[in-house]
Amino acid sequence: MSERRVVITGMGTINPLGHDVETTWSAMLAGELAPSPIELFDASTFPTHFAAQVKGFDMSKHLSPAAAEKHKHAGRHCQFALAAAVQAWQQSGLGGWEKLDNGRLGVYLGSGEGSIDFDKFVGLLIDAWVDGQVDTDKWPELAFERMELYREIEQESNMVVAHLAAEFGACGPAYNVLTACAASTQAMGEAAMQVRHGLADTVITGGAHSMIHPFGLTGFNRLTALSTRNDDCATASRPFDMTRDGFVIGEGASILIMEDYEHAKARGANILAEVVGYGASADAFRITDQDPEGDGAATSMRAALADAGISPEDIDYISAHGTGTKQNDQVETRAVKAVFGQDTKVPMSSVKSMVGHLIAAAGATELITCILALRDQILPPTANNHELDPDCDLDYVSNEARKASVKTCMSNSFGFGGQNNTLIIKPCE
Amino acid sequence: MADRRVAITGLGVVTPAGIGLEDTWQTILDGRKCVAEIDLFKPGHFPCKIAGQLRDFSAREFVPKNYRKAVKVMARDIEIAVAAADLAFLDSGIVTIGTGDEPTIESKRLGCNIGAGLICTELNELGTAINTAVTDGKFDYEKWGQAGMTNLTPLWLLKYLPNMLSCHVTIINGAEGPSNCITCGDVSAHLSAGESSLYIKRGIADVVVAGAAESKLNPMGLLRQGMLGRLCTTRNDSPAEAVRPFDAEHAGSAIGEGGGLFLLEDMDRAKKRGGKIYAELAGFGAACDPAGIDIEKPTAGNLALAVKNAIKSAGITPDDVDLIFAYGTGVPAEDIAEAAEWRKVFGDAASTIPAVSTTGVTGTMFAGGGGVQIALAAKALHEQTVPPTTNFSTPAEGCNMNFAKEPRKAELKYIVVGAYTVGGQSGACVLKRGEA
Repeated sequence: MSERRVVITGMGTINPLGHDVETTWSAMLAGELAPSPIELFDASTFPTHFAAQVKGFDMSKHLSPAAAEKHKHAGRHCQFALAAAVQAWQQSGLGGWEKLDNGRLGVYLGSGEGSIDFDKFVGLLIDAWVDGQVDTDKWPELAFERMELYREIEQESNMVVAHLAAEFGACGPAYNVLTACAASTQAMGEAAMQVRHGLADTVITGGAHSMIHPFGLTGFNRLTALSTRNDDCATASRPFDMTRDGFVIGEGASILIMEDYEHAKARGANILAEVVGYGASADAFRITDQDPEGDGAATSMRAALADAGISPEDIDYISAHGTGTKQNDQVETRAVKAVFGQDTKVPMSSVKSMVGHLIAAAGATELITCILALRDQILPPTANNHELDPDCDLDYVSNEARKASVKTCMSNSFGFGGQNNTLIIKPCE
Repeated sequence: MADRRVAITGLGVVTPAGIGLEDTWQTILDGRKCVAEIDLFKPGHFPCKIAGQLRDFSAREFVPKNYRKAVKVMARDIEIAVAAADLAFLDSGIVTIGTGDEPTIESKRLGCNIGAGLICTELNELGTAINTAVTDGKFDYEKWGQAGMTNLTPLWLLKYLPNMLSCHVTIINGAEGPSNCITCGDVSAHLSAGESSLYIKRGIADVVVAGAAESKLNPMGLLRQGMLGRLCTTRNDSPAEAVRPFDAEHAGSAIGEGGGLFLLEDMDRAKKRGGKIYAELAGFGAACDPAGIDIEKPTAGNLALAVKNAIKSAGITPDDVDLIFAYGTGVPAEDIAEAAEWRKVFGDAASTIPAVSTTGVTGTMFAGGGGVQIALAAKALHEQTVPPTTNFSTPAEGCNMNFAKEPRKAELKYIVVGAYTVGGQSGACVLKRGEA
């Protein structure tokens, strides 16, 4: 099999800290904190009342009226994806390139499911509830009358792929994957493999998700995975800190353009970074817990290093999964030490401390921060990092962004259920 | 990179036509029709009251004793996947920690890439909780937050995450290698096959569980597919005749539940251990149609491009294809769009190359359907048999393909399998006859 080099030529993001890459990056370097009380619905009595929300989002600032009309059925996370993709596409310069072969342009996303049409959905469960169960005479009658076709079908996670393909005229390979919190890292890794092995020349990749809806919050609250620091929500996301009590749910989308190096060079594209390593593994442990030794996570990192043909000493910065749950941060620390050595000095930070956990979109957002760390030679901090957990004893770039010499970055994502993914990027030489 | 070849060495199918490959295969050969009136729940006033249901299926039988408690946190889709994986391993002779005492595959070299759909929450389970949080006939957020939600099991969310198909299978079988969950509707299994074969070619796994499973046989599935106009509502009285792929009388599909998983294995490894080689996964292609965004106007997802890519990557030409394993939902506009795509690849030969679709027996199984399609194609190569296309008699306009009413023996070297999904994505695989 022939192998081609894979480069990144565009990036865009909509997230709780910003509606573009530069605003987001400035906010992170300044240590801004996104979590705030939930405004999207009444969560005042839920165990968790807050989230990292995308606020003031306006589709018309990102899409032309004609494009907005084409995507009028796009749900919340799909709108985020479209806006982020338009930014990435513009940066890549592919739009004005006449030789673009649409059959070689793919879409590979790690997008979440669209949110349920909540009020109507629960209304049905109430109005068609007879003798302790759904009455299948009444339920369909009401459902066919009340529910909306697009609102239902747009919940299928491949619909975001459909919207991006429609916007940019992609006719090549099109995928969506949903490996929980690892989804967009997995999508980017597999997108890179599509390019490396010649299945596509260019791939629109990344992820989008919003689980800030009553069932999303319910699901994570029932799992007791979320922070409940309602009285001080801005600082609630405290990865690696002794006082951490769970993750902060966020939402958003980040999209990147990956491209064959020769293809990018031939059209004179501005290359932002090269994807040199990708690793994937499964814990195969429990659906509720990570492998306490972090063996799965370590396997993923080792696989990415082997894929890149480099050793741990070559890594200058790790973008952590760093969710702020008791378990993740300890396991992740253990896994990094297993790979990098017990006394490793490699800096590792979690931007989730500021932007929250964007679930399926988290990994893509974090890879963008790695690209920017390479560009600006500065590491984003782990905010709210005042009292380290004794079991978390790495250099987490606590609280302040830091100048550093950064040549190679690793980005980790670990999904609920045990799917682990790692990417390694470098400047393109 | 060394050019490793990829063999299909184990098949696990769970379908309305049978639990297991042999039962399903025989049912398909016999043309026994499995779409019937729904009795999993009362179909009540749903316009479409028929489906392809699993019969005599209990996931517990396919789960090791020490894992049986976990079955209660498995949605139906997950149960199907877990059972199909067990069947695939048993069929292959590869022993995992889930199927025997002495595993014959190293955990870190065993990958798992199982596609899934949008899993539907059980409405009665959720409704029971929701109805504790109602004030004046309306949902009450405050009551829900205070107490209502505690009526849901703490692990409620984990029942419905699509990656849980893969996750349970990895845990049961100790699969620590690369793992993914593709959620691309009916083409998830094709995409999984292509991606999983790349794991083997890249040398990061020796064996991969690939394919997909799904059940949309629930009120939300009937609602959504009904709203899309994809379900047959005119044959509730003759369900067995309802799903008629490419037939002039096609009038919509029926929901089937099921899954098809297949083990992909490094060809040299398979030969060395004397494994049964159903087929070689010789080629793969994927594509999409930007018009897929318009879900009210069916397209076949640019399937021709996917098929052409698959044929090209197999190093063959369309003339080499001995059997077209079509998808054929039985939805008129979809059948017509699909047939047109096959014609784009094969030209007039699309009318003469033998072709098959098995949805007349099972209904449309969505993500699971693609997995079953690929598994049956591998079986067809192994048996050198063209299965019949049940409920096809006269081609619909534009659907003039060579579907057989009866099964027949044939010399088959290459089968191309292709499908598309709502949203406009498509995927195709070329399977080559395995060498003895």
